[in-house]
Amino acid sequence: MLLKNVVVIDKNSPHNGKKRDVLIEKGIIQQIASKIKETKGKIVDVKNAHVSIGWLDIGVQSGEPGYEHRETFQTLTAAAAAGGYTGIAVLPNTNPPIQTKTDVLFVKSQSNIVDVYPIGVVSKNNAGKDLAELYDMKNAGCVAFSDGQRSIQSSGLMKRGLEYLKTFNGLLINYPHDHELAKDGQVNEGKVSTSLGMKGIPNLAEESMLKRDLDLLAYTQSKLHVHNVSTEGSVKLIREAKKQGLKVTASVPVFNLIFNQEAVATFNTNYKVLPPLRQPSDIKALLKGLKDGTIDCISTNHTPLEDEVKKLEFLYADFGTIGLETTFALLNTHLSKFYALPTLIEKLTSLPRKVLGLPIPSIKEGMDANLTLFSNQLEWTLEKQDIYSKSKNTPLLGEKFIGRVVGIINKDQHWFLPSV
Amino acid sequence: MGATQLSTKHLLGIKYITKEDIQLIFETADNFKEVINRPIKKVPSLRDVTIANLFFENSTRTRISFELAEKRLSADVVNFSASSSSVKKGETLLDTVNNILSMKVDMVVMRHPAPGAPSFLAQHIDANIINAGDGTHEHPTQALLDAFSMREQLGDLEGKRIAIFGDILHSRVALSNIFCLKKLGAEVMVCGPPTLIPKHIGELGVEVSYNVKEALKWCDVANVLRIQLERQDIKYIPSIREYTQYFGINKALLDSLNKKIIIMHPGPINRGVELSSDVADSEHSIILQQVENGVAVRMAILFLLADKR
Repeated sequence: MLLKNVVVIDKNSPHNGKKRDVLIEKGIIQQIASKIKETKGKIVDVKNAHVSIGWLDIGVQSGEPGYEHRETFQTLTAAAAAGGYTGIAVLPNTNPPIQTKTDVLFVKSQSNIVDVYPIGVVSKNNAGKDLAELYDMKNAGCVAFSDGQRSIQSSGLMKRGLEYLKTFNGLLINYPHDHELAKDGQVNEGKVSTSLGMKGIPNLAEESMLKRDLDLLAYTQSKLHVHNVSTEGSVKLIREAKKQGLKVTASVPVFNLIFNQEAVATFNTNYKVLPPLRQPSDIKALLKGLKDGTIDCISTNHTPLEDEVKKLEFLYADFGTIGLETTFALLNTHLSKFYALPTLIEKLTSLPRKVLGLPIPSIKEGMDANLTLFSNQLEWTLEKQDIYSKSKNTPLLGEKFIGRVVGIINKDQHWFLPSV
Repeated sequence: MGATQLSTKHLLGIKYITKEDIQLIFETADNFKEVINRPIKKVPSLRDVTIANLFFENSTRTRISFELAEKRLSADVVNFSASSSSVKKGETLLDTVNNILSMKVDMVVMRHPAPGAPSFLAQHIDANIINAGDGTHEHPTQALLDAFSMREQLGDLEGKRIAIFGDILHSRVALSNIFCLKKLGAEVMVCGPPTLIPKHIGELGVEVSYNVKEALKWCDVANVLRIQLERQDIKYIPSIREYTQYFGINKALLDSLNKKIIIMHPGPINRGVELSSDVADSEHSIILQQVENGVAVRMAILFLLADKR
């Protein structure tokens, strides 16, 4: 296969920033040159095309096992491919939760063109009480451990989890969200929640748990990833912790970088997400934190949900939105004036891999072709029928975007937009 | 001469209407108040209009007030009431309402425990929707009748001082009152224990006080809310006894102020809790006028919205 006229975006490649032809055979990058003669295989020539190493999302929600009406691995990996991801780490909030060696092997076996990396639970039955068999799951192929959307409320469990993972230098992922302080909260606590008469989720609910987690991290000297931060205070806390030399990393959901609390003012349940959409001042701090490296990566926060739990009164609707297929388009459309393209791409590629300790591919001759092809100029509109995810819970239907994923190549397989 | 039509086809909340809308509703209500004091209290204005009163939450006075308003306008009325839990188990709100609308209903008056439920409906169905209270969000007709009653006593509300006492955190009446009074140019203060006052309420442009006596000294009108223990799944105050002692309003407290304050309450009153009986029944109190005005104001709203079909 020959990729024609693509701008290479890979800091580790001698071709970084240059327009090249890339020849791939048997899943290996055979040749990179300014012009390669036409070959027999498929030729891909798209206007304004860029190529980077394949993207990786650090934590998506799967429906399988248990909620196959929301998402199966087949639809999840298809959505990932369409979103430009050649790898996804999958959160364990399934039914049953991912908590045994067998569960881990099952998730891992779902890899196709998209690599599926299992995250195991920290607590047995995802119940927040006793440790699950972490070592056994690690040996079966778990890349990290997390209670996922069920943040760890017990400080005792959090401490034991961090301690135990040191046995094999494992990574604990926690989403800081204090259930007591967020009780009954529907949206960010602020002017909007007050004027809608809804209980709010204060920044405090995130920051007070994050403080606890960082204290426990300092005490245990283990390794922590803070998943999906959303507040100005969290950015400060993480920046300080990194300065002190703690082994901490962080991610931010794409929605929380772009939309603020005003988005829920019309009771649109597709903007009902966790963490909630906050104030413009929080967004400003998050953008700055991404720029200075306090926040390592951007997550899709992909949470597929059926109409029956979304098309409801706001109070009764579940939290979450799908995200795999629109993350790049949102970033490129809204944030291209804040970040150069290579900076953004780093947050979707090498940095999340570094957080999870995964090998980082590179665009060099002789290397495995693990690539994402995209255009930062292509204009398109999100239509329901184009969504590969089984669930369609997104507020972005009909939205016009600039920038689109064109295809991915991984493990000698490829997926391209039908129009390519 | 002001506007002759509302700017909206629904009454989802005071947030969504204009000052001109409020004034038009008041002027129309003045006329209907005269009508309901006639020997024959009925007019044929809504003779070809069918109205469904959907109450997904208990209500006595609001439901009766709406029903009387509808009947005095000669509308055809159907009533539906259900506890929210039984509906939640089975049919969705959208299905329930669509079923009722299939029977050709023109307007829906709805009370519902979920904030925004009327707005959700308005996005999906065609009929005019009147919010008769949606959880802890808004209760626009109550706010309009409250402001209408204040206007009867004080005239123009511009610059007048109104204090709202009690459980502000769980009160749709407080929120709608704040929006309505601010639109009419009044100054608003909320007063109660800090656990019952939303942290960000100041951002809506109101003063906050935790001291009842200070707030009473400040205001021209005291709108006293019911302490709604049924809305509190956790205890925000130590006891009713302590609340009455430190946040209740009684005659001795009022007498110590040397000024006339108008006392209002949206009902039902917990006598001896937020208001002592000698205050509720005193010449300061306009609680029963509020109830009478409720019918006139709701007639005005139904009449004006029917015009927007």
